[in-house]
Amino acid sequence: MTSRTTGRIAHFLGLVLVTACALFPVYWMFSSSFKNQVDLLAAPPVWTFTPTLQNYVDVFADPKTLNGTINSFIVASATTVLALLFGTPAAYALARFEFRGKADLWFWFITNRMISPIVLALPVYLLAQQARLLDTHIVLVLIYLTFNLPIVVWICTDQFRSIPPELEQAARLEGASQFRIFWQLYLPLGAPGVAVSAIFSFIFSWNELLYALVLTRRAAQTAPVAATSYMSGYEVPWGKIMATGSVIVLPVIVFSIIVSRHMVRGLTMGATK
Amino acid sequence: MAFLRLQNIVKRYGDLPVLRDVSLEAEKGEFVVFVGPSGCGKSTLLRIIAGLEETTDGQVFIDGADVTDVEPARREVSMVFQSYALFPHMSVRNNIAFGLKMSGMPKPQIEEAVAEAARILQIEPLLDRKPRQLSGGQRQRVAIGRAIVRQPKLFLFDEPLSNLDAELRAQMRIEIARLHRSLGVTMIFVTHDQVEAMTLADRIVVLRAGRIEQVGTPSELYARPANMFVAGFIGSPRMNFLDVEVVGSSQGAVTLVHPAFPDGPVSFPISRPAPMAGERVSLGLRPEQLNLEGRGRASLAATFDIAENLGGTSHVYAQIAGGETINIAIPGQPRATPGERLLASFDPQDAYLFDRDAQAL
Repeated sequence: MTSRTTGRIAHFLGLVLVTACALFPVYWMFSSSFKNQVDLLAAPPVWTFTPTLQNYVDVFADPKTLNGTINSFIVASATTVLALLFGTPAAYALARFEFRGKADLWFWFITNRMISPIVLALPVYLLAQQARLLDTHIVLVLIYLTFNLPIVVWICTDQFRSIPPELEQAARLEGASQFRIFWQLYLPLGAPGVAVSAIFSFIFSWNELLYALVLTRRAAQTAPVAATSYMSGYEVPWGKIMATGSVIVLPVIVFSIIVSRHMVRGLTMGATK
Repeated sequence: MAFLRLQNIVKRYGDLPVLRDVSLEAEKGEFVVFVGPSGCGKSTLLRIIAGLEETTDGQVFIDGADVTDVEPARREVSMVFQSYALFPHMSVRNNIAFGLKMSGMPKPQIEEAVAEAARILQIEPLLDRKPRQLSGGQRQRVAIGRAIVRQPKLFLFDEPLSNLDAELRAQMRIEIARLHRSLGVTMIFVTHDQVEAMTLADRIVVLRAGRIEQVGTPSELYARPANMFVAGFIGSPRMNFLDVEVVGSSQGAVTLVHPAFPDGPVSFPISRPAPMAGERVSLGLRPEQLNLEGRGRASLAATFDIAENLGGTSHVYAQIAGGETINIAIPGQPRATPGERLLASFDPQDAYLFDRDAQAL
């Protein structure tokens, strides 16, 4: 066997290992959602079992799951739309214009990500209480925006910077307004970055647990909170939690597949030599 | 009044001067070429005319109007970029139509104008393709199409041919010349290639380090370069320069010595006041004005080094006393062998003389 073949096999085995590590928890969640409580608590764990849909029946019988999923969808969509609406023009400005305080602003965007979310949980709770926003979609959207806007601005600024400046100059000479240049050049050509930041924003908002737990009670409770709410002091119904988890993950996977189509590399090929 | 007038244009990036007091005029329908080495400010000057770059000082007039502070779109100029700058996500048709759409032209008229531009540039079959599906030459045509469709007052070309291979470059050069003739519009063309400058220009503007060195027709620049820089830059192959000493001068003539003159001092006609005896000056001899057949009243003794055979002509490189290498352009091929002695002959009245400050004498 040549060293090249050995290398390839090692490479392949390495990839298999990494993939297995990444996918095993997901597999365990899906498979557990089809187990009954006895199989779930079996030690050592059972690998073969008679699948049951009872967990899903229980989960969907409970309005918390459906409501939670709807709430999550509303909050994640609104956050993503608003983050793109405010983030992409900001990214365009940071990418292409020179203005006073640009570097400071840039740094400020990053500093937002330096704070551990738990540190702000109590102040945010008190503020939300004062503003009578507890248990509303709005408070979640607002707090998620503070985390997602920097991500959108960051990714999109970098993406927009990679667009050749001659394109903008050509468009200016052709009489395009600043808004049109942004809308007809930067957004379509920066689509990969916009798509990536949309995915990040959506997934973050969809999966966020800490603030959702602190700031919502019932009306605006999101899916992750609903999943954990099955845990009580006396029992942990792993089957229901795993079934809820599986239900929560599906929309994100679908959304990511749809958006990832726009993440085509080399979209700007052919603009300039 | 001139159609395009640049008045005392100054451009600085911070403390770095890029253009130093540039003034220039171009008439309607004229083809003006800005030529100079990299970093001479020629592209910056073009971008100032387009409005893509602000001036630090000075004014730009187009068709009698001061457009110094007018935004690019309102200057009625079109520009073809070195990188073409086509919009990659739009079809060729939409690329060409972009400016017309921006101006709010009705759709049927846009279609008509695009079809006409496509016909002129022979890109009709490409209209529904995306730029990435085109070759370099085709992209170039689309970029020109986008420029002509708006019928601008002024065309600006920023080194548009430098990304093309030699054959295509020659072809596009001719097409641009034809386009200029048929449209009759003022064109400003930036290049670092003196062949493009010589072949396309009605008038050439030679720039160096942010200053205009000389403005004139190609023939004027070739025949009467103002200084050594222009003399060396215009004309291919490059002019030979020899360091010579003045041994005598009189009204209208100067006598020079160089170790390579086989018969001692040679007298050259001169139109400006002659330099004093003992001064050193530069003697410029174009390769095509030298011959190996003994024609001319003066000559240089040289040793054959190497020859470049171009088919119909050859460039002969030969060493002369003093260690300098001269280039001689001859028809056909040389019969000499390396190390062989040669006599490169010329007429003193064809020679160029430059003083110590590199200015023409």
